Amino acid sequence: MEEEFKPKIVGFLCNWCSYAGADLAGVSRLKYPSTILPVRVMCSSRVDPLHIITALLKGADGVLIAGCHPGDCHYQKGNYHTRRRFALLKRVLENLGFDADRMRLSWVSASEGRRFAKVVGEFTEKIKELGPNPCREEHFL
Amino acid sequence: MKGAVIQAKAGIADGILNFLKEALDKGFFDALLLPVRVPAGDSFSYILMRDTSLLDGAFPLPPVMPVQGARALSSLTRYGKGTNRIAVLMRPCEIRAAIELHKLDQVDLENIFLLSVDCPGVLPLGDYIKDPRKGDALYEKVLQEWIIRSPRWACDICDKFSMPHSDAHFGILGAPESSLFVIPGTTKGKDFLESLDIEYHTSVKSWETKVQELTEEISKKREQTLQALSRDTRGPERLLGIFSKCINCHNCMRVCPICYCRQCYFDSDALKLTPDNYLMRAQKKGALRFMPDTLLFQLGRMSHMGLSCVSCGTCEDACPMAIPVSRIFTLVADSMQEVFDYVAGRNPQDPLPQIVYKEEELKEVEKAYIETYNK
Repeated sequence: MEEEFKPKIVGFLCNWCSYAGADLAGVSRLKYPSTILPVRVMCSSRVDPLHIITALLKGADGVLIAGCHPGDCHYQKGNYHTRRRFALLKRVLENLGFDADRMRLSWVSASEGRRFAKVVGEFTEKIKELGPNPCREEHFL
Repeated sequence: MKGAVIQAKAGIADGILNFLKEALDKGFFDALLLPVRVPAGDSFSYILMRDTSLLDGAFPLPPVMPVQGARALSSLTRYGKGTNRIAVLMRPCEIRAAIELHKLDQVDLENIFLLSVDCPGVLPLGDYIKDPRKGDALYEKVLQEWIIRSPRWACDICDKFSMPHSDAHFGILGAPESSLFVIPGTTKGKDFLESLDIEYHTSVKSWETKVQELTEEISKKREQTLQALSRDTRGPERLLGIFSKCINCHNCMRVCPICYCRQCYFDSDALKLTPDNYLMRAQKKGALRFMPDTLLFQLGRMSHMGLSCVSCGTCEDACPMAIPVSRIFTLVADSMQEVFDYVAGRNPQDPLPQIVYKEEELKEVEKAYIETYNK
């Protein structure tokens, strides 16, 4: 029997909101798929487009960037810049025919453990629909 | 628009150079930065000159663009304005790159006088170097007949070949026989013409109409070409087909006017991974190309500088493997700039989209989970 596809998702979580949100999900013993590999960053705007490209080219099935809700950024405006950069990178990847749905931007606050679990769950479902990242097998990358 | 008419009896270049000579003699500038043919005769480079005798070897419109002028200007002013007032004559794409660098604090425009000129495009550097004489003859024809359709891809679909945001512009298109238009673009430009006692209230309608006609024609072509290109480059597989011959020399980055970082991430040790890492990747994939991460460099550079890309094509000229770098970059850069209705180098007053934001915008990129969560 063929093994079920279990996506690998790299999650960049902001220190002040989303990482705490993920923590809360754990503390509250909420169930969500173990597909996500969290990377704690001080702010979602710390995520350079390069981090996302690197993850995708090296075979990550999905990349999640999560930060504070707009207006709630610990650094006042970091997440607004994240959103701009995210939109740009999405454009780059779409234009070159990559599956831009493999990257997601979500706002998760420190009190939203349930939301975090749901985001990961939904994103995992979406990635399952898309299937494994074709770059994973590409020898010439 | 209004401008002045100046004499150019012995050709366009001669008219421009005489004009600049007069301005330099009258002391409006301290020095000129102009393209001059190198002594060996097979290329051109920017020369900063004070001595008017050097002007005889200058070319306002050289047949190739080995050095992007914005880079030359940046090396002169990246630590702030100098005490010299320098006039720089550059092609529109070079001016646009200089404006982008100005926004990035790599060029100080205060004591710089930007002069631009209608540009028919340049020849591909590689072709020219093989036979400079043939190239010169060919370019002579390009200048006479004003065929923008130069064999160089970036120029062929360049719809911003005329007046950028410069202090003064030399209008060649539509100018009366053996003369040129000089069109002031800023108050600095008007002061300049006044100080030379040149009356600049002549109508330049003929120039405007010609430029508009050509712009419309080329814009259409640009759109079609980019659409066709987009079809041919979709997907990691096709993209690899284009970039897999890259030899990692990073020439494209070194000649790019926008890539100003002193230490590029891609030249740093951050990308030199340990043998273990490579072995692990090879094991997972079953095989691995060496050196890997070519596409990473191209995509990374694109996402870093795409918003400021002026489509000058210098990267493609510099590629020893003849990879159509500038085509892919233009394709992506145009659509990146479209997101924020931004045009690189259009105006020094337009802020760079990366450094500003609106509180309510781009809801579509964050929409996905908000809706389902609220159910």
